[in-house]
Amino acid sequence: MTLWFVRGIRRGIVTTRYPARPEESARFLPTPPAFRPRELNRETADRLAQACPSGALTRDEDALVFDVGRCTACGRCAAEASHAVISSAAWELAATDRSTLIKRIPLRAAAP
Amino acid sequence: MTPLDLFYVAAGAWACAALVGLLTARAAAGLLACCALSAVGGAAAAVGGGWSLLYGDTTVVSPGPATVVGGPLQLQATSLAGVFAALLGVVAVAIACYAPRYHTPSPGTGCYLAAYNLALIACLAVLAAGGMVTFLVAWETMSLACYLLILRHPRDLQVARGAFWFLALSEAGFLLVVAAFVILSAKTGSTSLAAIAAHAAAVPGGWRAAAFLLALTGFGFKAGLVPLHAWLPEAHPVAPADGSAFLSGVVVKMGVYGIALFAFRLAPPLGAWPGLVMMFAGAVTAAIGILYAMAEGDIKRFLAYSTIENAGIIVTAFGAAMIFHASGQRALWALLLIAGIYHVANHGCYKSLLFLEAGVTEHATGTRNMDRLGGLVHRLPRSAVIAFVGTLGIAALPPLNGFVSEWLIFQGLFQGFRTGSHLTGILIVLAAGTLGLTGGLAIYAFVRGFGIPYLGMPRTRQAAEATERRQPVLGPALLAVACVALALGAPVVLYALSRAARTVTGVTLGPLLLPGDLTVIPAHTDFAALSPTYLAVFLVCALAVPLLIYAAGRPRARSTRVPVWDGGIVAFKPRMQYSAMTFSAPTRVTFDALYQPSVSVTRPSDDDPAGRSGPVHYEAQVTPVFQRYLYQPLVRSLEWLSDLVRPIQSGDVNLYLLYVFAVILLAYLLGAV
Amino acid sequence: MSTSADDLRAAIERQFGRSLHIRTLDTGSCAVCEQEIRLLAAPHYDLHRLGFFFTPAPRHADLLLVTGPMIRAFEVAARKTYDAMPGPKVVVGVGACALGGVYPADPFTHGTVDAVLPVDVWIPGCPPSPLALLHGLGVAVGRLAEKVRDLPFTAEDQPERTRGDS
Repeated sequence: MTLWFVRGIRRGIVTTRYPARPEESARFLPTPPAFRPRELNRETADRLAQACPSGALTRDEDALVFDVGRCTACGRCAAEASHAVISSAAWELAATDRSTLIKRIPLRAAAP
Repeated sequence: MTPLDLFYVAAGAWACAALVGLLTARAAAGLLACCALSAVGGAAAAVGGGWSLLYGDTTVVSPGPATVVGGPLQLQATSLAGVFAALLGVVAVAIACYAPRYHTPSPGTGCYLAAYNLALIACLAVLAAGGMVTFLVAWETMSLACYLLILRHPRDLQVARGAFWFLALSEAGFLLVVAAFVILSAKTGSTSLAAIAAHAAAVPGGWRAAAFLLALTGFGFKAGLVPLHAWLPEAHPVAPADGSAFLSGVVVKMGVYGIALFAFRLAPPLGAWPGLVMMFAGAVTAAIGILYAMAEGDIKRFLAYSTIENAGIIVTAFGAAMIFHASGQRALWALLLIAGIYHVANHGCYKSLLFLEAGVTEHATGTRNMDRLGGLVHRLPRSAVIAFVGTLGIAALPPLNGFVSEWLIFQGLFQGFRTGSHLTGILIVLAAGTLGLTGGLAIYAFVRGFGIPYLGMPRTRQAAEATERRQPVLGPALLAVACVALALGAPVVLYALSRAARTVTGVTLGPLLLPGDLTVIPAHTDFAALSPTYLAVFLVCALAVPLLIYAAGRPRARSTRVPVWDGGIVAFKPRMQYSAMTFSAPTRVTFDALYQPSVSVTRPSDDDPAGRSGPVHYEAQVTPVFQRYLYQPLVRSLEWLSDLVRPIQSGDVNLYLLYVFAVILLAYLLGAV
Repeated sequence: MSTSADDLRAAIERQFGRSLHIRTLDTGSCAVCEQEIRLLAAPHYDLHRLGFFFTPAPRHADLLLVTGPMIRAFEVAARKTYDAMPGPKVVVGVGACALGGVYPADPFTHGTVDAVLPVDVWIPGCPPSPLALLHGLGVAVGRLAEKVRDLPFTAEDQPERTRGDS
């Protein structure tokens, strides 16, 4: 009991200071993807939409529509088109308006 | 004119009512006429009783024929009996208003009403008895009339059984009462109660104590002291509702009156120990009564056990009064006598009310089982309000009358330290503690007794379809008004009772009870004070404050009405509510040494523990301790004894001739000697 | 809650800024979101230091934390829980299921909490980490600012890196 107490005191406070101070361990969190518009053409966008199991990615006329709310950070889109997808490293994603979670990423104009 | 004249009027009216009932009750008009006469008699008895409180003791009168059943008919209207007579009158009036709608006109009802009015006359005669023989004859008549009363439906086995319990225990008590009276009249040389009371000091202490103990036990059978109480839960459920109201409200009080008569007038014992015995008996009775009430699901058995509890409280008060008398605390002696009698009046009112309402419930729903009822406050609103008044009274909650009388009893008991003896002081405190336990359990029991049948959702179709049409309301409403009047008018009532106490004890409490300004104090100015009237006014005003706040804040506050939070389940079923047994389960677990509960579970097939192949039968029982360990062994030993003696009646003529010869021989020998 | 955004934020902060009672509601989730929510009370994240408390009784709750795709069998219970909460109240949808992902609407599921309850704050994630939950709760009481509105989720301005790199 004493040993536990002493060790604990030496280790210091482990409670996070968030939100007053940024949290160091947050960089290990799985996060939704970010897309490179230059790598996105219609075919890639269709493949990405097909790969997403959660329905977060769809394609309309000239943009890849990404619903951040539906994303489960599973990584299948990155596995499907690794040149077009990277991790966004964004985890503070709360929104009061559902429409702010729906992002339109413009596709590359020219066909492949 | 004396109160005794009003008692004659009452008796005459009741005699007419009995005749009218017997002859014409098969028609509705006859039933109504009988009840009207009964009400007139009740009013006369109530007024006479109230008047005799203030008038004091009248002289002993011997009207009519010189002898009745071997002794003179002697009547006297006493102050002590005045309260009981007033209670008798009020309950009689209420039952008379209740009976026309409760009973259906038929010959059986006629016999029942005749027996009931005869019982009323007999009770009044017990109260107005001025002589030993009159008292005993009236007592026995009362027992027999009540037996006939209970036996309204003689073909029913349960009814016959309940009536038999009543009769058997009444007779056992009667024998002891006769013995007590005989001792006293032999030692004082007179049969007039006034003369016995006057010469009470001449009776040696041992004989006095013996007479007192015999009277305590004998009247205890009627009053319902444990373990002599066994007839109450058997007889009350099977009698008609107004019969049960009469039994609990009046007849049990006759037992209490007998105890009070012997304790305070006829054989006031020397020393404190008889009072200790009585107080102990009362406290135990109160605790056991309410504990058994907690385990009852039948409304009338529950109320019967509650009567036992209240009788215990009254007897405890009287016992403590005797202890204070023995230790010289005359003011407390008078106070506890007053408090006990006040509780008699209060209990008579609200217990009769509750029994009448139980009758209304039984007629409206067809069942007395609490677990089959529920939600009756919506179906029987007026009955529910009246029953609620009675429940508040019997749970001794302010501002009603039960609270005031129990407060006085407690304040009297708390002053046990004034006796000067440490032992009696401690014992009085223990009795007060037991009464405290009883009071708490009574509140618990009556939350259950009112909540399960009246509140919540109906548990069966009969409860959901109950209707208040053609149910009697006036009778119970009268008793509810009486309860409230006894509470708000407590100073007036206590003043009248203190006059009665002065006649019995010679102590004038006056400013030691009512120092003016509508306050009541328990016999010593330095102890406690209560104003029931102001308390009632304060409570009403206190209830008004949240209402005013709500009304004032209403325009600004937005409120939404949503259903009660039930855990989010889709539909709340009536079977999900508390049942009567589960609500009292904590008590049964805590006191299981007293209840000795037994549970039996039977499944159709033993190798299927889940009972999936058929219904599972679950039965939980509370052991009837007194019947199993006291009455049945007694009955069995009596049967064994009679088996032993049976050979004497062999049926052989020769043996009988031998008996005749032996007796004649014996007579000659004794004559020669 | 139908006042303008600024009034709303001011009202929320005034009402809930110091102390907030949270009632969790699982409308059919896989319970991983519940594990993350439970971790909030653990010493590492410790939501008590921020003035938030969990309560089981909706009558005492200010905020309803809803997880799961709102299966139809739970609809009555969810509405009853919401109705039992006294106003003002805030509803927060937590996790990809509650936001409409993973499970589409079908005869057994609504698919999104929005179909039954009016949601004020959405917290994406599968599951959202306790830190994301703290951020979401801070947004709900008006103490923290929303960030996702200004995030484009495009990679032009970010250096090349993959998930998990330090």
